[in-house]
Amino acid sequence: MKFETLMLLLTFFAPVIGGFIYGVERIVRARMQSRVGPPLMQPFYDFFKLIDKRPLMVHSLHAVMGIMYFVASWFALLVLFLGNDLLVAVFFHVIAVLALTIGAFSVRSPYSVIGAMRELMHMISYEPLMVLMVVGFYQVVGSFNLKDILNYEGIPLLELPVVFVAFVLAIPMMLHKSPFDVAEAHQEIIGGLEIEYSGPFYEAVYTGKWIEYVYVFFFVFLFGGSHYWLGALLVIFAFLFVNALDNATARLDFRRMVKFAWFVLIPVSAFNIIFLALWR
Amino acid sequence: MDFFIMMSIVLPWITALVIYLAKNDFVTNFLTFLMLPVLGYFAWMVYSSGNLPYLMDTPGWVNYFITVYDFGLLGYFFYQGIKNKSLLVSALAVLQLVLLFIVVLIIEHSDTANIYIDKLTAFMYMIVAVVGVPIAIFATKYMEYDEKGKHSFVAILIWFLGVMNFAVSVNNIEWFFALFETTTLASYVLIRFRMDKEAVNNALLALWMNQIGGVAILLALLTFLKTDGIYHFTELLNANSKTLSLAALGFLSVSALVKGAQMPFHKWLLGAMVAPTPVSAILHSATMVKIAPYLLLRISPVIKGTLLAKLLIIATGFVFVSAAVIALTQENFKKILAYSTISLLGLMMLAAVVGTPIAVTASLILILFHAFAKGFLFIEAGVLEKVFHVKYIKQMRRLIERAPLTLMFIFFGFLNMTFVPFGTFIGKWMMIEEASGFLSHGSYVLLILYVGAGSAFLSVLYMKVLGISVRKSHGIEKLKLIPLPVRFNFVSVWYYGWLLFLTVFIAPFIATQIVPIAQELNGQMPNIHAQNLSLVMNSSILYFWQIIGALIILSLIHILPFFIHFKKVDTAMPYNCGEAFPRHIETYNFVCISKYENYLIAFSVALFVMVLVLGGGLL
Repeated sequence: MKFETLMLLLTFFAPVIGGFIYGVERIVRARMQSRVGPPLMQPFYDFFKLIDKRPLMVHSLHAVMGIMYFVASWFALLVLFLGNDLLVAVFFHVIAVLALTIGAFSVRSPYSVIGAMRELMHMISYEPLMVLMVVGFYQVVGSFNLKDILNYEGIPLLELPVVFVAFVLAIPMMLHKSPFDVAEAHQEIIGGLEIEYSGPFYEAVYTGKWIEYVYVFFFVFLFGGSHYWLGALLVIFAFLFVNALDNATARLDFRRMVKFAWFVLIPVSAFNIIFLALWR
Repeated sequence: MDFFIMMSIVLPWITALVIYLAKNDFVTNFLTFLMLPVLGYFAWMVYSSGNLPYLMDTPGWVNYFITVYDFGLLGYFFYQGIKNKSLLVSALAVLQLVLLFIVVLIIEHSDTANIYIDKLTAFMYMIVAVVGVPIAIFATKYMEYDEKGKHSFVAILIWFLGVMNFAVSVNNIEWFFALFETTTLASYVLIRFRMDKEAVNNALLALWMNQIGGVAILLALLTFLKTDGIYHFTELLNANSKTLSLAALGFLSVSALVKGAQMPFHKWLLGAMVAPTPVSAILHSATMVKIAPYLLLRISPVIKGTLLAKLLIIATGFVFVSAAVIALTQENFKKILAYSTISLLGLMMLAAVVGTPIAVTASLILILFHAFAKGFLFIEAGVLEKVFHVKYIKQMRRLIERAPLTLMFIFFGFLNMTFVPFGTFIGKWMMIEEASGFLSHGSYVLLILYVGAGSAFLSVLYMKVLGISVRKSHGIEKLKLIPLPVRFNFVSVWYYGWLLFLTVFIAPFIATQIVPIAQELNGQMPNIHAQNLSLVMNSSILYFWQIIGALIILSLIHILPFFIHFKKVDTAMPYNCGEAFPRHIETYNFVCISKYENYLIAFSVALFVMVLVLGGGLL
């Protein structure tokens, strides 16, 4: 029962954990740019400030979809932690994307609509890769079950090195980081998807993004198998790497993103998996 | 038993004849409505009778009659080719006449029964009754909107259902050929129903393409006769699969690919959209294209694991992805639906040819849920066309204000095509997990890539279309509900209810209804069972709380916006950098992909040839 309780607690506190990750990220990013950066608790200060704000919305559908995004991504996390099957968790994530894009599509703002279309391109880029990665785990561990992966004696990283690299390179697509932050693109389409949200409704979207942090980095953690220290190291490495990449690169066009995912990341991951199966 | 089978097959033919002759509104509407409980009851009696599989003997004259009918039918095709100056149609008809003549000369008498009813057949009966008949009911109202020939149209639809019931119950491949060509005839008549130039052209296109399928069946039949001397499905399944002619099986698969509108033979299904919408609905959901996965499921025990099967996986999987990609570039709503049918048919056939017990289950699930969802979506496309005059996705702007109820139904239909707890998702999920078991062959890795990529593309497609329709400038202050005709609402609610019901109880439904069919087809028991309301497959579990949670979230997403209004919240205009608001906001039309359409088709031709030549062992 202990495992389930732990996972339930993790899911429950996921927004808080995600918030802290975001806080650390802001500090790390600032230090990389030789700034001091905001305090660690800044995301939570923002959180309380947003709650306090006067609610404003474009229309109810849009506001509801923001909240549904938060609910759906939290639920996807619950499915990842407490469900039995990683693959199902990957597909649950699509529901969150659905809510977010339908919301962004529903307003008469060009920025929001462009953001939504680009978000779909993001999904095309990382979704098949996620499926491949989960299949790779199945190849290594022999099960789609989270518990089996966390109890696996060997190190999945050693058998899926290329998939790991591909996934780390796909993290910017999932978390909207440069060079693949095309759906948000602050300097270009001013936040895209989230521009029309404000006050408590923006807060839902904002917190939903924190949950995605937990969701994404947990997959990185799985590459350590039962060696949790290795998993933790990998998470720290991926976190630093993604932030360094975010700081060091300029935004790419969404076509480049899709091409990169489809012509580089997915084929090499597929080769990793097929050779793993062949040499077994 | 004999009575129920006979009635399932013959009753639609009789009813169609009565409707055709009576040409009376009351008779048409009443009989069409009557078909729903009656055919449903017969199908259920066949399905639930304990003694399946069941071989039914037919009197000898039926055999002669069908042969004569075959010649008549091909003669009619020949005549149509001459009349419409289509050389291709008449040439293919002549080719088939010659082949059929040879078949008749060398065929020997066999004592094997000609009608074979197993659970798969009963399953198809159920689909025809529950999904097909409502489309005819819908058509009775649809045809009252400025269309001509309501009675003959409804009569043909109902006759088509009878043909479909017949086609899935035959055992004799020669009979199967006759029925295969009869569905071709039915689609030909339906597609050219409006009789304008475009309709006739597209009908001829459908005619010659499907005749290629007919030629393939005849070649398969000839090869079987020459090599093994068998021409019944049951004997085929009992034969030693080592000695069985792969070429013949290859020809049968090719006829399935043609019937299932796989690229490069997909144009006929696209052309079918010039006909009244119920035609598309019936072709896509319950009849016609479903023969393709049906045929592959029939022969899947003998072809699984062969090179033919692997090449078919590559070919159909390629269609699954590329049709989804091409669908992104389309503008016409019915065309988008047609492409997504082509795409999902690819997936169904792929699952059928993989042929393991779980893959067969996945194929059956896909057939059933795709039938429901596609019937539903085409019905709504018909409503949009007739009531709201919307045909292109461009015209779907702000549909949420104009047609909230119809949009809600379309939304639900789309969710059913790809999202989590629904049947189509379960089919994909099973396929990925099943294929993960045999990754040492390249075609299975490709399969996983196909399924992952294809479902991502389809999700993008549906979200794009939905995105266009939900856009609006202000909140829905008042719902503008245009009252729809009762029959439209009845059919919509019928599908909606079934889909919702089946999804909530999906685990016991699959475990108690679909699994036995797969077991009978495959001989082995798929490792799927239900734990209360959770679905267990191998060691993976889809918990009930996941199913119901996803269902609630998705229901909230597609229903809530119509009911929830934040009354106390102030509204603001969208931010636009101080510029004037654009009148229209376009969405991506993916023109960049349409450049590659011809390459994709060319590649599918190559795969097609490869299936035939390498898989069938013609070289």
